[in-house]
Amino acid sequence: MKGPIISGAIILAGMFIFLKFLLPLVTAPLPASLIYLYLALVLSGILIYGTMSASSLEAMMGPVFRFLSGKGQTGASQMARLAVLVMFPLLVGWQTYSRLVPSDLPPAENRTIHPAPPGEFVGLANPYPKTPENIMMGKGLYAAYCSPCHGANYDGKGPAAPGFNPPPANFSDPGTIAQLQEAYLFWRIKKGGVGLPVEGMPWKSAMPRWEEELPEEFIWKIIMGEYDGAHQTPRTWEEEE
Amino acid sequence: MLNGLGNLRTLSLVGLFGVLGFSSAFANEPPASEEPGSVSVRLYQFEGSLPSEDPNSSQWDSVPSSEFNLAPQVHWPPRIQEVTVKSVKVKGVHNGQEMAILVEYADPTEDAADAAALEFMVGDNPAHFAHGQEMLQVEGGPVNIWYWKNESGKAVDMSAKGFKTLETQPHQDIQAKGVWENGIWKVVFSRLLKTEDDQDVQVEEGEWKNVAFAFWDGAVVDGLVKEKGGQKAVSTWWYIRAEPSADNSIFGWVILGLVLATAFELVIVRKLRKGQAV
Ligand code: HEC
Repeated sequence: MKGPIISGAIILAGMFIFLKFLLPLVTAPLPASLIYLYLALVLSGILIYGTMSASSLEAMMGPVFRFLSGKGQTGASQMARLAVLVMFPLLVGWQTYSRLVPSDLPPAENRTIHPAPPGEFVGLANPYPKTPENIMMGKGLYAAYCSPCHGANYDGKGPAAPGFNPPPANFSDPGTIAQLQEAYLFWRIKKGGVGLPVEGMPWKSAMPRWEEELPEEFIWKIIMGEYDGAHQTPRTWEEEE
Repeated sequence: MLNGLGNLRTLSLVGLFGVLGFSSAFANEPPASEEPGSVSVRLYQFEGSLPSEDPNSSQWDSVPSSEFNLAPQVHWPPRIQEVTVKSVKVKGVHNGQEMAILVEYADPTEDAADAAALEFMVGDNPAHFAHGQEMLQVEGGPVNIWYWKNESGKAVDMSAKGFKTLETQPHQDIQAKGVWENGIWKVVFSRLLKTEDDQDVQVEEGEWKNVAFAFWDGAVVDGLVKEKGGQKAVSTWWYIRAEPSADNSIFGWVILGLVLATAFELVIVRKLRKGQAV
């Protein structure tokens, strides 16, 4: 009799465990609101399936209705029904409270880390060949200009890093420059934090606007040195397609 | 057996229970932790007068502090690679009229040129933390800087919008008092929450604002002041808020929710008992 309800509950629980605990093992954790959305979809699927025919509807909903109506119940099932009837208003009250209680936390930082670059920077290629001399020169410039923030080991842990929010990018992390093209870096280094669009929250970024101090040649060579030192390779156009 | 209408009713009933249950279980993100390293300064509510004149007042003892790391200013020339002040502890209070902010940091020597500053965004446009410097794709706003220097013994109310635009405001609205003891500076800044001056940050209870910090070690090394001008310890923006009074209207809404949910249950159970749906 309770078959459809129990199997529905098992599917939901399994889905929740998958989304909440198993999926994060291979990718970034999902936000709670997304998990909620997926579960709501699964739930409506179960409901639609369970109510497709009159007999499946009876199999699924009959026990629920008999349980709620309380007809002919005794002992444990009576207690359970009472518990459900008491819990439901409390749940609603708690929901109301948690929705209305003024947040005590500062505004959430929905900063886009890699916003789209301005058109004039799309598709630029590094005009300098990747010779050992050029890479060497780039690393030297990096050590002089970039390492105070991004770190001598390209790990974002330079001596100045702890004061900045957002922190200087960690180039050895596969989530930063390995995801980007050289042209993108050229834009970011040239225009700095102040060159970001509004979704990048330029007012918070300590990344300097290097075009004020370094010629383009230096910037292209620094890019080479940066990838080499961080043991990463730039994303290329082919991968993009 | 169910007819078409019963079908619909069933779906909506179960759907409602389901949505409510799930939303309570999963829809609330866990609160972000503020450790390690603070993200905000809270100006706690005080009754009566504030310890604005005395950084050592015992009134400060009960106020929780936030702590922020500082960096040598390497964002813009003239850079400096090594600074004295590595972090700052900040406490804040307000009484609905005035606010007082206490900064406390280590500096081994007391020097005439030791200085401390707080910076705030002014107006609705976001301002870059480095003196409201120009942004390329975003229209920025000005900043209000409260600058205290040991040798003058007072604070100056300043404004900037871009590098080299720092100026003393015609209207001075702030006070400050600093005390150095055993290698620790304590400086209290104070002001009214709101002023008439549109060059000033205006603080509304409950509203998050942005604040940044800067400190200069004025020690004289080889005849030169060690840190001055752009050569200083800095932070980027953090949040600050004058804590609001508790809002009791919420409990009215909670009671309404309880009453509505109970009424809803009564209606459903009555219908079911009458055998209308099944
Ligand atoms: C004052 C500290 C500072 C210095 C010096 C500095 N950066 Fe940055 N950099 C940052 C911060 C903070 C960020 C993260 C915020 C942002 O993206 O603007 C950043 C971000 C970047 C990014 C973007 C990475 C990404 O994943 O999007 C690149 C590329 C970069 N920096 C390169 C450089 C290079 C090259 C130099 C030296 C020429 C340099 N930076 C010097 C602070 C600094």
